[in-house]
Amino acid sequence: MISKRIAAVLAGATTVSLVLAACGSNGEDSSPASSGDSVKSLTILDYYNNDPDKSLVQKGLDSCASQLGITIQRETVPGDTLIQKVLQQASSKTLPDVLMLDNPDVQQIAATGALAPLNDMGLSGDGVIQGMVDATSYQGKLYGLAPVTNTIALFYNTQMLQEAGVQPPKTWDELKAAAKKLTKPGRYGIAFNANATYEGSWQFLPAMWTNGGDETDLNTPQVSEALQLWVDLVQSGSASKSVINWTQGDAKDQFVAGKAAMMVNGPWQIPALEKTPNVKWEVVTFPLNKPDQTPVAPLGGEAWTVPLNKDQAKQQKAADFVKCLNSDENELAWAKARFTIPTKTALLDQYVKEVPSMKAFTEQVKTARSRTGKLGEKWPEAAKVIYQAIQLALTGKASAQDAFKQASGG
Amino acid sequence: MNDSAVRRAVYTVIGVLILVVMLFPVYWMLNASLQPSGNTLTAGFLPLHPTFSGYQRALSEQGGNLVTSLIIATGTVILSLAIATPCAYALSQFRSRWVSVGLLAILISQMIPGIVIANALYTAYERIGLLNSIPGLILANCASGIPFAILILRSFMLSLPPSLVEAARVDGAGLFRAFVAIVLPISKNSLITAGLFSFLFSWSDFLFALTLTTKGGVRPVTLGIYQYLGTQVQNWNAVMATAVLSAIPAIVLLVAAQKYIAAGAIGGAVK
Amino acid sequence: MAQATITRTTDARGTGPVRRSRGRRHRGEDLTKILFVLPAAVAMVALFGYPVVKNLLMSLQDYGLRTFFTGAAPWVGLKNYSTVVTDNLFSDAMVNTALFTIGSIAFQFVIGLALALFFHRRFPLSGVLRSLLLLPWLLPLIVSSATWRSILEQDSGILNRTLSWLHLINEPVPWLNSPSVALIAVIGVNIWIGIPFNVTLLYSGLAEIPDELYEAGQLDGATGWRAFWFITWPNLRAVASVLLMLGVVYTIKVLDIILGLTGGGPANATQTLATQSYERSFIDFKFGEGAALSNILIAISFLFAIFYLRSTRRAIDE
Repeated sequence: MISKRIAAVLAGATTVSLVLAACGSNGEDSSPASSGDSVKSLTILDYYNNDPDKSLVQKGLDSCASQLGITIQRETVPGDTLIQKVLQQASSKTLPDVLMLDNPDVQQIAATGALAPLNDMGLSGDGVIQGMVDATSYQGKLYGLAPVTNTIALFYNTQMLQEAGVQPPKTWDELKAAAKKLTKPGRYGIAFNANATYEGSWQFLPAMWTNGGDETDLNTPQVSEALQLWVDLVQSGSASKSVINWTQGDAKDQFVAGKAAMMVNGPWQIPALEKTPNVKWEVVTFPLNKPDQTPVAPLGGEAWTVPLNKDQAKQQKAADFVKCLNSDENELAWAKARFTIPTKTALLDQYVKEVPSMKAFTEQVKTARSRTGKLGEKWPEAAKVIYQAIQLALTGKASAQDAFKQASGG
Repeated sequence: MNDSAVRRAVYTVIGVLILVVMLFPVYWMLNASLQPSGNTLTAGFLPLHPTFSGYQRALSEQGGNLVTSLIIATGTVILSLAIATPCAYALSQFRSRWVSVGLLAILISQMIPGIVIANALYTAYERIGLLNSIPGLILANCASGIPFAILILRSFMLSLPPSLVEAARVDGAGLFRAFVAIVLPISKNSLITAGLFSFLFSWSDFLFALTLTTKGGVRPVTLGIYQYLGTQVQNWNAVMATAVLSAIPAIVLLVAAQKYIAAGAIGGAVK
Repeated sequence: MAQATITRTTDARGTGPVRRSRGRRHRGEDLTKILFVLPAAVAMVALFGYPVVKNLLMSLQDYGLRTFFTGAAPWVGLKNYSTVVTDNLFSDAMVNTALFTIGSIAFQFVIGLALALFFHRRFPLSGVLRSLLLLPWLLPLIVSSATWRSILEQDSGILNRTLSWLHLINEPVPWLNSPSVALIAVIGVNIWIGIPFNVTLLYSGLAEIPDELYEAGQLDGATGWRAFWFITWPNLRAVASVLLMLGVVYTIKVLDIILGLTGGGPANATQTLATQSYERSFIDFKFGEGAALSNILIAISFLFAIFYLRSTRRAIDE
């Protein structure tokens, strides 16, 4: 226990002032006195099941545990099985005290009444990027807080662009031209993910949203223009036909193998890219259709929530724990270690200063929005229509104009 | 070298060729496991610049999981066979209208999606404290092992001549003793086959392992492999290496078992 | 034709132990018989009783995400069934399921039988080679589907590379990328996975056939194809029919392989009832509809099961 405390102090040494500020500012309403000292341990469930994320997250959890004077029992499961696990535990009333959820799932789970509203327990979304607050709120109440976020942008291979005499594209026309010019035997201009999963929809959102498309009505020219961009890239041969089966990991593999000169991807790939130092890369925000548009990308990242608990003291302690995870200190620590972006706007400038390679992503995050911001728990239905429309259009079963109508069963 | 020896050598060559084709994907996985990226995007036919980093990682991190997998799979074989064999014998030799009902019930059980069974077991295990335990996982894997073994053993036992047991019964042996002394030895071949697949089902189980464990203590290798497969980041190099390594002890076991089958087939010439 | 076949059981069958046992040991005997079945019966009820009932009930309920937390699941009668049956994708999924099941089983069985017959000839290393054939079953499915995806990759996959090197194709085949080819590719991979299962069981079936039958047959001139048709096949029938039965049951609900290779795509070309059921339950969280679909699957397998039982009963009564 003592060594953990020391570790926590050391971890926070650089930002002692922040720690003090975080502990002092809202300390009154959620002081340990109200939660009682009877709570000695918390159970935690999350999906950071592989290293380095697993142990980096563990560090943050441990440091908060020692700050609160408790022990934690953490369970990690593979990402695509998390919801399944949550449902099992829900039906047998064995949900953990602290539950991590992918941010677009928070509203759905909150809608079932399983989660405790955090506002009542001394937490708030003040200072957090609006998009993330939207994602983790349901019917006006806050149900989770995400310490860090991420998004997607355009990676490019600096060497390849240089050799081809191509500038990083700023518009869709430039993107198409660049991708075409960068394509040669054994290499595609660009790689992205257009597979039949929510991930495929997520990768499509920068194009769709930036062009003014909206998930509340998918049958608009703005949306089909965005789909046309994907179709053009594949049909011109600038992107592989395999994009309809690729995951984001596959896109990264293609990029690393030198088989794609650009890719749409997120900052979580940076550690893998750094392992192959001969591939030199930079990141720019996703190109715009028309120069006067602002880039709008989707917000990624996971929120920490507190399932309802009959044991009030435990529930409060869990809320305190979530609060600690969202302290400025922890946000910055996780952001730096895991190539993610703090969710508090006040931290962004300091963060970019310390981690310049994250500049494009941080820019992208400032204007990003959440997938569930407008449709709430109805988002998954729209997301499904989106990925099915993409599949129809890219396999030539429908034109970009008709794809959305066809995918929504019209 | 006489004629038949030549022919047999030709058969061996053909057999090897069949195996080369059938196991090519396994070779390709081996190839991937030796690439630093864990994929074969830029790989040639042979891994000319192999890296063993995946193996180092797998060896240091998956050893315990491998033992867990072996214990669970072996336990499943023993329990499944112990429960299934008498039942299979009964269903093949006893005449009763319940036989068809029993068979139908067993077949239906095989149609239920695994996830439905896993969810139900989770609720039950949670109450009786079998979560995170090796016996719990063995029992769960028997859900695939027992019905399968009953059906397979029964289909083999259908051809047992009842006169064999009759002979023993005349000597005054009880039904059970006759079963143990006569039926079991003669069914060695099919017992091994049924056991083999109980082993394989249990070995490849992911669903029960995922559902019925809630902490790191008991973790078969199929689940352990997910240590390298994150939501966003996948370390395929280590995944492939783990798959290769975990196949080795199991295949040694299987070859040994098959040897036994061959021996059993010859020894079974009692008939 | 049936009379002409040589099987090893027909002679003793009529005087089985059961008929004779209706004597003095009658009552104790019955008790022993029950004890033979009891452990299995208990295990089956414990492991499957609840899930079977649960799955049936679920399909009649509005069983959603909320139900897991509140327990509330209103009864909706057959609404889930009508919803899933009238869905646009249902008929496609039905056809795909049929193609997938028939295609997989036909090839698995025929190739499996051919290989089993081949390995039944005793030659050096036959045992070792045959057991190595099981190797694919030792690999986690996530690994074998990832490997197959890389093999079938359109641009850099080794299959297309090899085929064009052999000048068998001019254009790379879009194995997993074209809605018209993907199902074939997925079936192909499933056949590959199923072959070891078929070989091993059929081989064991072959090994059980006593050599004396062939010797006797030889005297009657039954060699080669005739030996196969009049001796091997009739004696293999019990094993073959249970194998085909299990093949149907296991293949019809195959999920991981399809999800791992295509996720039901491209453009829903590889959606089956099983993937649809999974999608409704775990993507849409409409568990009632997912259960309804899986019950439809069960009903289809059930028909095969009845068929199987009738055929085996006939075999016994013969």
